[in-house]
Amino acid sequence: MAKEPLLSARDIEIEFSLRGKILKAIRKCSLDLYEGETLAIVGESGSGKSVFTKSFLGMLDANGSITGGSIVYDGVDISKYKTEKEWLTIRGKKISMVMQDPMTSLNPLKKIGKQIQESIELCQGIKGEEAKKLSIEMLKKVGIPDPERRANQYPHEFSGGMRQRVVIAIAVACRPQILICDEPTTALDVTIQAQILDLIRALQRELNMTVIYITHDLGVVANVADRVAVMYAGQIVEYGLVNEIFYDAWHPYTWALLSSLPQLGVKGEDLPTIDGTPPNLFYEVKGDAFAPRNQQALAIDFEEEPPFFDVTSTHKAKTWYLDPRAPKIEQPKSIKMLREKMRK
Amino acid sequence: MFKYTVKRLLQSVLTVLIIVTIVFLCMRALPTDFFFTEDQMMKLDDQQKEDILAKAGLLDPIPTQLFRYYGQILSGDFGTSRRIQNGTSVLEIIGGKFTISMRLGLSSMAISLTLGILLGVLQARQKDRLMDHVGTVYTVFVNSVPPLVSYSLVLVFGSRVLGLPSLYSNKNIGMSSILPVVCLALTSIAHYALWTRRYMVDESTKDYIKLARIKGMSTQSIMVKHILKNAFVPLVQYIPASIILTFGGTLLVERFFSVPGMGTLMVDAIQRYDTEVVQTCVMIYAFLGIIGVFLGDLAMTLFDPRIKLAGGGETR
Repeated sequence: MAKEPLLSARDIEIEFSLRGKILKAIRKCSLDLYEGETLAIVGESGSGKSVFTKSFLGMLDANGSITGGSIVYDGVDISKYKTEKEWLTIRGKKISMVMQDPMTSLNPLKKIGKQIQESIELCQGIKGEEAKKLSIEMLKKVGIPDPERRANQYPHEFSGGMRQRVVIAIAVACRPQILICDEPTTALDVTIQAQILDLIRALQRELNMTVIYITHDLGVVANVADRVAVMYAGQIVEYGLVNEIFYDAWHPYTWALLSSLPQLGVKGEDLPTIDGTPPNLFYEVKGDAFAPRNQQALAIDFEEEPPFFDVTSTHKAKTWYLDPRAPKIEQPKSIKMLREKMRK
Repeated sequence: MFKYTVKRLLQSVLTVLIIVTIVFLCMRALPTDFFFTEDQMMKLDDQQKEDILAKAGLLDPIPTQLFRYYGQILSGDFGTSRRIQNGTSVLEIIGGKFTISMRLGLSSMAISLTLGILLGVLQARQKDRLMDHVGTVYTVFVNSVPPLVSYSLVLVFGSRVLGLPSLYSNKNIGMSSILPVVCLALTSIAHYALWTRRYMVDESTKDYIKLARIKGMSTQSIMVKHILKNAFVPLVQYIPASIILTFGGTLLVERFFSVPGMGTLMVDAIQRYDTEVVQTCVMIYAFLGIIGVFLGDLAMTLFDPRIKLAGGGETR
């Protein structure tokens, strides 16, 4: 990918102050996002997926701030934005977001149509009737039947899946370039999940959006993503094209994650799990953050943080295993199994 | 909606009836001696007393008395006062007092709704900053110090420093109302500020506020278009009741400033065993309270589309 990235985050550091202590939630995390692609960020809870992407919108909680690095978007380092006024030029209009829980994401006392209309009025400079017409059009676009009538209803008259459609309509009403979907299907039941993913994909094509999925559902990843970034303890530890991550991963954390896929389980045996817990980010992490949970960790993993090594031009992993000096380490059986399965 | 309203009204009537009955029975349980003044007690002999009681119907069996009383109320006759103003009709006595209490109550209500909600909004917007702390100190002070102490402070400051009249007088209603109104407003301002702040802070941490921010709305317009309106809903339920109840005046403030209002009247009537006045006062209080709660419920349905009072019908 020799293209210029649409958004480029470099060495982002994000800190939260909690009860007088500093929590380093994001530790020098870098990411390039290319136009039109679908990137999935995976990782366990607390790995910083949400926090990292929220910082692209200036939506960090009040006790958190970007303390280092840069986020270059459209030639401007938006990580240096301080005032709300600056962020309002980005939010909704350029970068937007769909949150996890559609049941609480809508104002219970406002008509659905009005809530979409609010968005439209903010970015397109039109008011009243015309904006209302557009909001009904948006409802139709996200697949809500009988939009004229539905626009006059309140959120409690919609089902979960329908509400998520409305939330998506609000998020894309201003035709943003980048849409961040923070676990958009976690709160929905499985039959609805596929519909919502299809909807996002269709809108992505129609509006020419770049989409970031935050998820820990690897099934979703395989389904929708072009590229995958794996996050652990506030850092991206491996990224590459979706096939490269699923079938030729190199970071031990990615291995552990993939090995835990229920699809790989053998009947009658316990599913593999990842032992231990992620490091406490109130303290400085030494070496590879995953080393304490990695049974095959090298001595150097505890001493020094690994740099990124190239696997291919599009696939990089942050592990000493790929250092030419490292002892020969084989990918675990489960990873090979995945590859076998794909061949068939 | 109509069906619900009628049902609620009938229930209210029943409640008032029960209250009236209880008060009536309580008053009848008192010894009949209280029916006479000290003067009469000394001068009249037993036979004369008996005659008077019999004439007033007080020697009839209780159920007979009770149903006679129901009949009187239904025909709009609330009896005459025996002790406070002998021979004057109860409605006439209460009428004048009612106006005085209402005037004070409504002015303090207007002040406390405006200032209280305003203070609450300011506090919520400046959460954990100076204005919030000032408001919290005020709220805690007013709520924790016994009212007589804060009233005394108002009285001392108002009369000594500002030279305002410290007792209510009919000749100078405007000026002499200021201190009682301030005292009445003092507590309700704190009350409204506390709840407004609380509900606004509650709302502002909800997910839909995050979505509104993602949309690109400014903090200012989120505050007005989302938070304020939604925070108002739980508050709105109590406002009619508080307005209505001000008509009844308050015992404490009216006593403190010698305001001849409903509160003072009721205390007097109880102390002097003026049964007709007590019964009517209690009935009015009960009625106002019930109407207030009822209006509050109706107001909720106007503000919150999720609440449908009709019961059954279209739930989705």
